[in-house]
Amino acid sequence: MERPVLVFEEVYKYFRRDQPTLRGINLTIERGEFCFVTGPSGAGKSTLLQLVYRKHTVDAGRILFCGRDIARLRDDSIPFLRRNLGIVFQDFKIVKHWSVFENVAVALEILDMPQRLIRARVSEALERVGLAGRGRDRTENLSGGEQQRVAVARAIVTEPALILADEPTGNLDPHLAIDILTLFEEINETGTTVLFATHDHSLMAKRDHRIIGLDDGRVLEARRGLSSWGGDGASDIDVAEPRGLHAVPGSAG
Amino acid sequence: MDWKSTWARARRGVREEFRLYLVAVSSLSVAFVCVGGALLAVTNLDAMAERWGRSGKVSVYLHDGAERDDVSQIQTVLEALPEVLEVELLSSAEARTRFLEQSEVGGDLTALPAEIFPASLEVQLAPGTPRARVQEIGERVAGLGAVDDVETYAGFFTRLEGLLSAGRGLAGALALLVGLCVLAVIGNTIRLAVARRKDEIEVMKLCGATDTFVRRPFVVEGTLQGALSAGLALVVLFAGFLVLRGHLDASVGALAGINATFLHPAIVAALFFGGGLIGALGSAFSLKRYLAV
Repeated sequence: MERPVLVFEEVYKYFRRDQPTLRGINLTIERGEFCFVTGPSGAGKSTLLQLVYRKHTVDAGRILFCGRDIARLRDDSIPFLRRNLGIVFQDFKIVKHWSVFENVAVALEILDMPQRLIRARVSEALERVGLAGRGRDRTENLSGGEQQRVAVARAIVTEPALILADEPTGNLDPHLAIDILTLFEEINETGTTVLFATHDHSLMAKRDHRIIGLDDGRVLEARRGLSSWGGDGASDIDVAEPRGLHAVPGSAG
Repeated sequence: MDWKSTWARARRGVREEFRLYLVAVSSLSVAFVCVGGALLAVTNLDAMAERWGRSGKVSVYLHDGAERDDVSQIQTVLEALPEVLEVELLSSAEARTRFLEQSEVGGDLTALPAEIFPASLEVQLAPGTPRARVQEIGERVAGLGAVDDVETYAGFFTRLEGLLSAGRGLAGALALLVGLCVLAVIGNTIRLAVARRKDEIEVMKLCGATDTFVRRPFVVEGTLQGALSAGLALVVLFAGFLVLRGHLDASVGALAGINATFLHPAIVAALFFGGGLIGALGSAFSLKRYLAV
C-alpha cells in the first residue's frame, strides 16, 4: 500500500497563547486525492496549508509529508520541501512586471535546469493551463483568471507531489472560479494530490470531492461531497456529532 | 551554481532599478573621488620626500679662521666615506654669490658683506642614505676643531615626515569614512531595490529558492555599483590629473623638484576591487531581513 502523501498527527498551532488556531488536527491525505478544505473565516484553513509549506511551524504534533516530519526540518531544508510542493494563492503572488514565461520559469530556474529544458517545460505548463503562446505577454496585462492560470502553471511546472491552493478562486467571479477549479481537477487527474482551501460552498456543491471542514481550529468533518453534508455549509457542521463518511481518525500515519 | 541565470537576473534588476542605481553610483563616485584625491596627494608627497631624501645633503660650516690644512683633511675624510658622493668647498664669497643668485627675497641685498656667509663644505650623499647615518656623520664632523656648525636638515625631514604621516592618516581616515559611506549607500540602495522587489523574493522563496539563490543577483548588483563608482571616480581623477599636471609641474613641481605622478597601479586596482567588495558586502548584509518568507 502506498504511503499517504500528507499526515497531520495531533497538530496544534498557537498564535495567541490562550487561543489555539489549530487544536489537535488529525488528517490523512492519500496520494492522488482532491480535497476541499473549508470553514468560516478564521477557522484555520490557511494556517493548515501554511504549516505544510513551513511558513509557520507546528507548536505540537507532527506533519508528515511523504513520510518526512516537516516540523523537524532545519531552516536550510525548507527550500527543498517547497520544491516538492506547488502553491497557489488567492492574490496569485505573481510578479506583475515579469512576462508570463518568466513567472513560470522561475520555479525551474531555482532547480538549476538548463534553459532549453525550461523553455520546453514552461510551454507545456502554459498549454495545460490554456495560455499556450502567451509566454511573452506581460503578466500585468492579463485578466484575473489568466493571472491565476499563470500561478497554476508555475505550481505545476515542477510536477510536484502535492498542490496547495489557498482560496485560489477568492478573487475571481463565479464563472472563472469554476474554470480554475476544473483546471485543478485536470491536474489532479494526472495523479497530483490537490488540497484546495475555499469557503465557497457553491464550488463544493458542484463537485463530489472529499471535504475537510475546519471550525475553531478543529477538524469537524471530512466527507465526500457537500451533497451528503446535510446542511448549508461548514457552519452547520457539528463538532460533537460528526457525521462524516470519510472522517479521519487521530491514528493517521 | 548557475551564474548565467544569476547574471541574467542581476541585469534585469539593474534595468528595472536603473534610475535608483544611477543616483547611488553618482553619490558613491563623489565619495571615491575624495578618497582617491587624498591618496593622490599622499602619493605625490611621498614622491617628494623620496626625491629629497635621495638628494641627501649635509652642510659643514667652518670657523672664520679655519686652517686650510684642517679643511683639506676634513674634506679628505669625508670623501673617503662610502655614502659621500661629492664634497664641495664653498668660500664666504662663493656662498654670498650663490645666495644672491638663488634668493628671490625682495630688496637690494648686494650690500651684504661676504663675512656674514661662513665658508662651508657642501656634502652630497648617496641616494637612500639612512637618516640615522646622516645624523651620525654630522655629529662626528661637528666635533672637529675647524668646524663651527653642521646642518643635516634633520628638522626639515622630521617636519616633512610628520606632514606625510598626517597625510597618510588623513587618507586612511577618509578611506574608512568612504568605506562606511559606500556600505551605507549601497546597503540602502539595495534595501530600496529589495523593498520594491519583495514580491519577486517572496515568489522565489515560495518556489523553493535558497537564500543564496535569492541573494546572488543582488550581490552582483552591489558589486557592480561599488566597482563602477570607484571606476568612475578614478576616471574623473585621472582626467583632472591630466588637466592639472602641466600647471602643477610648472609651479609646485619646479619648486619641489618632482613631477606630479598619478596613483600607483596597485592602488588603482585596490580602489576598484575594494569598491566592488564593499558593494558586495553592503548588499549581502542588507538583504537578510527580507529573506524570511
